[in-house]
Amino acid sequence: MPAASSAFDYDTALAECAKGHRAALHRIYQHESRRLLGVALRIVRDRARAEDVLHDAFMNIWTRAASFDATRGEGRGWIHTIVRNQALSAVRTNDREVSADEETIEALEADAVSNAAPMADVFEVNADIGRLDECLEQLDAPKRNSILLAYVDGCSHGEIAQRLNAPLGSVKAWVRRGLLSLRECMA
Amino acid sequence: MNADDLYVLAGEYVLGTLSAARRADVETRMANDAALRTAVEQWQQKLAPLTALAEPAEPSPALWQRIESSLAAQEERAATVNVATTLQPATVRSWWNSLRLWRGLAATGFAAAAFMGIVVVGKLAQPPGPGYMVVLVGPQDKSPGWVVQAATNSQQARLIPLGKVDVPSDKSLQFWTKGNDWKGPVSLGLVRPGESKEVSLDKLPPLEPNQLFEITLEPYNGSPLDRPTGPILFIGRAVKII
Repeated sequence: MPAASSAFDYDTALAECAKGHRAALHRIYQHESRRLLGVALRIVRDRARAEDVLHDAFMNIWTRAASFDATRGEGRGWIHTIVRNQALSAVRTNDREVSADEETIEALEADAVSNAAPMADVFEVNADIGRLDECLEQLDAPKRNSILLAYVDGCSHGEIAQRLNAPLGSVKAWVRRGLLSLRECMA
Repeated sequence: MNADDLYVLAGEYVLGTLSAARRADVETRMANDAALRTAVEQWQQKLAPLTALAEPAEPSPALWQRIESSLAAQEERAATVNVATTLQPATVRSWWNSLRLWRGLAATGFAAAAFMGIVVVGKLAQPPGPGYMVVLVGPQDKSPGWVVQAATNSQQARLIPLGKVDVPSDKSLQFWTKGNDWKGPVSLGLVRPGESKEVSLDKLPPLEPNQLFEITLEPYNGSPLDRPTGPILFIGRAVKII
């Protein structure tokens, strides 16, 4: 976790929210809203929608604060999970997946066959992400790209296929094998 | 499902690559599947550092205000409903006239109650036909407890329990109604938990849409006054059935 946020006690703030102290929710907002909006914006890709996501997420944080269990994970992670889930459900219900229709995918697959050049990284990891960084480094570029496009940009399999100019089937395999390698590396 | 499939499913859920339907499916399964829930939590923790890859963005100043006003609106709804269950005798006199209370109840519970009415009608032995239907719900959890049926122009109404209520041995349930323009509530008598009751309406004005019905917790022999003195346990408004 970045040093800037380690001084803030998310667990205590959530416990106060559960008791109905609205000032605690405001403190969370003041500390984390810029980062949370950044996360939502990458996934929904529209400022007004990202703010809607953050609004709904904060309502959720407030009403669900009592269900936060500090023994099952960090408060900051819990808050980020709520925001990501809200953002993902916003894009998945709108079915952005439709844009990668069958025909496009088939065309891409045909292209990819003749396009066997090594893949470049689509992400530059310039933040301190700890052990995860080493584990991502151990993946080959297609798997690393697939995992990062999914998590950070909220891409579906079809969107990853478009972005990487790769067959849908390959993307599904990359995500699966990437996850299994990460699990092993981080165990 | 083997262990790898479980981890991949949990991982794809956290990554966000699942369709809306499969996301919902995982969320439902997590409630009863501890292994899946644990796998999801592990992925959430392992992948959390990746949120640092999104550049922060400054929210517009109006966003917090918007969140605050939504919270205030939510709180007001909750407070209005709480009033109904925590009433003390001293405050009872004024709450019948509290527009805010009734407006709050109307906004929160009665849409659900009207819907439950439709569901409940299907379950009753005899369809009530044209007339009025009231579903009495708990002011807090909105769970339906009783139904009132009355045929059009009938002098009788029937109160039917949908479940059992625990009543302390020194207390009774008392049934009340109040029309929109009435000065106060009128007692329709004591009610036994879990038992149907026929009530005579012949001394009252004809039933009207939105007429209020409720059951309160009172001393063993009923309220000593001409109005409720105890908390509301169930409350609802009359809906016209065609």
